[in-house]
Amino acid sequence: MVIVGGGVHGLATAYYLARNHGITNVAVLEKSYIGSGGSGRNTAILRSNYLTPDGVRFYDRSLKLYERLAAELNYNVMFSRRGHLTLAHNDSSLRTMRWRAEVNKASGVDSEVIGPADIKKLVPFMDTSERARYPILGALYHPPGGIIRHDAVVWGYARAADAMGVHVHQDTELTGIDVEQGRVTGVRTSRGSIATRVVVNCTAGWSTLVANLAGVRLPVQTFPLQAAVTEPVRPFLDTVVVSGTLHVYVSQTDRGELVFGASVDPFASYSTRGTLEFVEGLAGHVLQLMPSLSTLRLLRQWAGLCDMTPDFAPIMGHTEVDGFLVDVGWGTYGFKAGPVAGETMAECVATGRTPELISAFGLRRFADGSLVGEKGAAAVGH
Amino acid sequence: MILIPCPWCGSRDAGEFAYGGEPTPRPDPRTATREQWRGYLYLRNNVAGWTTERWYHRMGCRRYLTVQRNTVTNEVRQP
Amino acid sequence: MKRQTRRLDRQPGEVIDRGSPLEFGWNGRSYPAYAGDTIASALAACGERVFSRSFKYHRRRGLLTASYTDPGCIVQVGDEPNVRGAHRLVTPGMDVRSQDTWPSLAFDVKAANELVGRFLPAGFYYKTFIRPRPLWPTYERVLRRFSHGGVVSPDPLSPELSSYDKRQVHPDVLVAGGGPAGMTAAVAAARAGARVMLVEEEHSLGGHLRWGDKADLAALHDLRSLLAASGVEVLTNSVVFGRYDHNHVAIVQRGLPHVYERLVKARAKTLVVSPGLIERPYVFAGNDVPGVMLSTAVRRLINLYAVKPGDRAVVLTANPQGDAAVVDLERAGVEVAHVVDARGGDDLVRVLGRGGVKGVELVGGHRIECDLVVTAVGWTAPLTLLTMAGTVAAYDSRAARYFPGTATLPDDVLPAGGVVGDGTLDELVAHADAVGREAARRAGSMSRREPAAEIPALPVDAHPELFHGPTHGIVDFSEDVSSRDLLTAVEEGYSSAELAKRYTTATMGPTQGKLESVNVVAIIAEATGRTISQTGTTTWRPPYAPVTLGALAGRHREPVRYSPMHPWHERHGAAPLVAGAWIRPDHYGDPAGEVLAVRERVGIIDVTPIGKLDLRGPDVPKLLNLLYVNRWSKLEVGRVRYGVMCAEDGVVLDDGVTGRLGDQHYLMSTTSSGAASVWEWVESWLQTEHPGWQVHVTPVTTSYASINVAGPRSRELLGRVVAEIDLTPQAFPYMHVRTGRVAGVDGCVLWRIGFTGELSFELHVPASYGLHVWETLLDSGNDLGVRAFGIEAQRILRLEKGHLIVGQDTDGLTQAFSAGLDGLIRLDKDDFVGRSELVWQAEAAAESRLVGLHPNDASVVPEEGSQLIEAGVICGRVTSSRWSPTLHRSICLAQVATEFAEPGTLVTVRLPDGRSVPATVTEHLASVDPEGARLRG
Repeated sequence: MVIVGGGVHGLATAYYLARNHGITNVAVLEKSYIGSGGSGRNTAILRSNYLTPDGVRFYDRSLKLYERLAAELNYNVMFSRRGHLTLAHNDSSLRTMRWRAEVNKASGVDSEVIGPADIKKLVPFMDTSERARYPILGALYHPPGGIIRHDAVVWGYARAADAMGVHVHQDTELTGIDVEQGRVTGVRTSRGSIATRVVVNCTAGWSTLVANLAGVRLPVQTFPLQAAVTEPVRPFLDTVVVSGTLHVYVSQTDRGELVFGASVDPFASYSTRGTLEFVEGLAGHVLQLMPSLSTLRLLRQWAGLCDMTPDFAPIMGHTEVDGFLVDVGWGTYGFKAGPVAGETMAECVATGRTPELISAFGLRRFADGSLVGEKGAAAVGH
Repeated sequence: MILIPCPWCGSRDAGEFAYGGEPTPRPDPRTATREQWRGYLYLRNNVAGWTTERWYHRMGCRRYLTVQRNTVTNEVRQP
Repeated sequence: MKRQTRRLDRQPGEVIDRGSPLEFGWNGRSYPAYAGDTIASALAACGERVFSRSFKYHRRRGLLTASYTDPGCIVQVGDEPNVRGAHRLVTPGMDVRSQDTWPSLAFDVKAANELVGRFLPAGFYYKTFIRPRPLWPTYERVLRRFSHGGVVSPDPLSPELSSYDKRQVHPDVLVAGGGPAGMTAAVAAARAGARVMLVEEEHSLGGHLRWGDKADLAALHDLRSLLAASGVEVLTNSVVFGRYDHNHVAIVQRGLPHVYERLVKARAKTLVVSPGLIERPYVFAGNDVPGVMLSTAVRRLINLYAVKPGDRAVVLTANPQGDAAVVDLERAGVEVAHVVDARGGDDLVRVLGRGGVKGVELVGGHRIECDLVVTAVGWTAPLTLLTMAGTVAAYDSRAARYFPGTATLPDDVLPAGGVVGDGTLDELVAHADAVGREAARRAGSMSRREPAAEIPALPVDAHPELFHGPTHGIVDFSEDVSSRDLLTAVEEGYSSAELAKRYTTATMGPTQGKLESVNVVAIIAEATGRTISQTGTTTWRPPYAPVTLGALAGRHREPVRYSPMHPWHERHGAAPLVAGAWIRPDHYGDPAGEVLAVRERVGIIDVTPIGKLDLRGPDVPKLLNLLYVNRWSKLEVGRVRYGVMCAEDGVVLDDGVTGRLGDQHYLMSTTSSGAASVWEWVESWLQTEHPGWQVHVTPVTTSYASINVAGPRSRELLGRVVAEIDLTPQAFPYMHVRTGRVAGVDGCVLWRIGFTGELSFELHVPASYGLHVWETLLDSGNDLGVRAFGIEAQRILRLEKGHLIVGQDTDGLTQAFSAGLDGLIRLDKDDFVGRSELVWQAEAAAESRLVGLHPNDASVVPEEGSQLIEAGVICGRVTSSRWSPTLHRSICLAQVATEFAEPGTLVTVRLPDGRSVPATVTEHLASVDPEGARLRG
């Protein structure tokens, strides 16, 4: 079978196909180098404090797979459990934080709403005063959340899959999908053709273009998501900090750099060139949270492509074309789902049945009008 | 910041506008099937290349306008 | 105090002002300097050679490039981390300290890392600390302590470090880089009639001419005169750090009075990119020992700062710059012990010494004692701005450097100078002159009939491909990545340039690849048996130079909105509530008392932020019928109706009342948070779907101040300030509208509606009279017990009445039936927005319902967001909850699964503290006056 996309989703799918189902006759097609897309461009934040019980269960499974990934792959993916703070600047977001905390607790996930004094203890640099333009009223504190080395995850999966016999083809671009009488018969690539009955679309940014090759339309629009990193300074920020109102999230790497992200660009585009207004807005918002960082210098900005779905939930599983499966529409939260997406997609491919964990994420839900309920709290879903 | 050519105000920073996306024709609500209606709600072409889209000059003349934009290069032209 | 033992006699091109001596501090000791000195030149003049410790191995580091990109001289200045010491000018009393050293620069405990250096090869961390897993967090804590960089403080910064601003400019031609090419292009463009801005990273213009010979200095003098006469605006100590789509160009300007850094945003018609070339370090053993410098570094030190860089030098040269460095060194009294001419295939094997250069080993094992090693092995073209504009860099092996592929550049970007080619100064100037004229022509500064300028081709000099010597050395100085690390990465399969870069972190540090990226690619190419062209290049990502968050943010201001009554609220101790752009009174100290005042007497609340749209025209009823789920055709003049809007997917979007003021005149209200989006929504339906409808929409949210007068005595109070409007229940019944004079103010609109559940009148008065009307109401109602009430009291009142708040009791997926709006939805209308989905939703039962809920223990108020749980499964949530001062009990609204929505159903609420409490679904959403007798009174 053929997996399109050599990012964490494609490689994890290949890895779990081999490890859990003994299927190693797998080719992973990557048009550039592995991890060159969203996997290498995201800000590598892990958490499971979602709003719906389905979302919590799904991401909690992912977090648990991540926690044991280093030992399993014999590769240090540097998972760093830092704690994750989602700030509430108004009563409606505070209400949503409580809602999330209560759903999390009901699902056995550690989340709690904390007040400004506790936030200040966790992040001494934070302006928790009432003078702030958007005063901090509280936060959802999620101790299991953290950051990870994204490249290491990609490389770890690739090495392990390769060791079990999976073929990873870099610099190999998919150019066509052959469909006969409603079922997949093969793919064409920039480096030759492959006969196959199963193609799994694990791309981000190009998922609609790949699906179009099989004649499948996806309810997806592609938006750039930008990120930036500062020069390193001595460690001062342990937790991951997210503010939906200010459209910003911040963490400090082990190397001392601050890594920033925000929400997707205001209009659809395939550009990864980045914009000035992004870094301007970002800096303004970071300084609203932590005003004494003015002299810190921004070192690098970049962008990745995010495939946004109408309900901020992914599209996973079978399509109307027999043998063409999708694991797409991951918006801004694909990286944290890499392991569980790989595990469930592998099961889906190997058994032909859709695992219960992803049954809500099928493509049919849009035509059926049964959307997934993460939209309520997904303003900044990182 | 890219520039959007407003037929009434001239070229202005995209920040003055709200992005309206690809216009999708509204099916006749009396006859539309669920499939058609939800296609109208959710399906877009998401073209990598030239596309026709709607912008709203929120901080200017407050008119909806149509422009062509290349979604790869962000080049913009009047339709 | 230290003495300037290495300071040379006056040099012809020196930039220091010997008439202005000053003192500054370095690691707590006082050092002398001259105005014009950089931190590094001043320290070097005093004989200091070591400025920092390296990232991984904490090796001593000295000057390498003596320019902004110098990785060895990044220092802390006061509260400012990561200052480029070879670029920042010293100022009197400046407090400069070395970074990354503990306990001191001379004795660094972490240098022990170097002793275990064999344990830190490429990818070390990925391959270790894996088992046992619990150990990694411990190692990580140690690792974080090793992180590189300066110190930031949580305390507020001094004023000089915290003032930033922004400037917008619209030059015809913007020139990035003020060397001879940039200066010439700027002059040529200005002479052709263009408005020109020239930006230079260093403190003075002229590029390499500044450290050149007599002829160079004379040429520089002439260029400066031409430029001064040309009217070009020149920014020095400023960098163009990004070229974004549509030639939006970002510049950071430094060294201004009163402003620490300024972001200059240019919308340039044409951008000329002339950044010059950056000298490349040579990779060989010991290439990072203090005393190993690039040829441009020694030429800068000698000619610009009059600093003698060493006493005895060995020079490796492959080009005229290196040859000129030899001349400079000899002139400065440095003994040149040996010149290794790489053009003849000669090479350096290693540098001897650890803390400083003690000598070199040549090919064949011959050793020469020296304290300075100078290399001149080639150039890197900084292509950031050009690649941001779309060019793909192409490697030319004959010249041993990358060039921009000009064919892929947009029309509004033109390269000039060293990034394009070499040649004599005359050739460079002739080329740049033509580029400048062409830039002006493309900017439209010349007549359109003017033919395109003929841009002469620049010659490209042959240069040997010299990247590394016979031994391994440091490739990335700021990341401590060696050529051996790159080979390890390739051996382990990370063989593309991007993968090896990411695996080793080469090019990821503060020099951003400017010094090392070509060496990285060359070494990977060699290790993989490919050419450099086949290996490609690493991406140049913006910004070109690091820029402070302060400059990017500028004077960050978020607009704030206040109602005309705000001064009164402030005087009366209102607790502020941030509601989007608005600051509103949450309460005046006693929300429960405010509630009781409304229930028992009369209260007034400032509801100015309620969205208001003035709608006029014959087709307004069509618009209302389309946008609201209920029917509007028959609304009579003088009537008000509540309406709910859905999106096309049937999700509740907004709600509010709309009144008919005249035959073709309506006033629509929206939620406060929906004011802007509903206006846009209305415009979109009118403009894109029904352009033929005759409706004029005018937003009047802030044209009116809005006051709700609520309570059993509200009619009585209002009667005291209204003369011409009959307020009796018969003349002005519930859900009607009147216009007229209130408290002497004409043009007011009065609505009889009741969000609070009490008899109430909502007044919309011309905004400038808002405070007057507000104060008149309070003055007139003293004996009635009138009292101002805030948002919190209103929330309690509406919850007692069971009125839902869109966005709180509904969410982004709540469809109208789930919101309990069944009675309102008129599916028999031909069409309205969202109808199709609501028809299908009506066929299927809604999955959840909005219900009223009373905890059985009346004293328990479950926090909003508490979950309803049955048999371990979530079956709903509390959307609103408060203590009701009216009923002396807790009350809630909740979204519950339909099977639990029947009145009387017992459900279990799990509180945030873990307790579970029983609660009962009530018959009505309203807990107070469900029949509505009060508000209809």
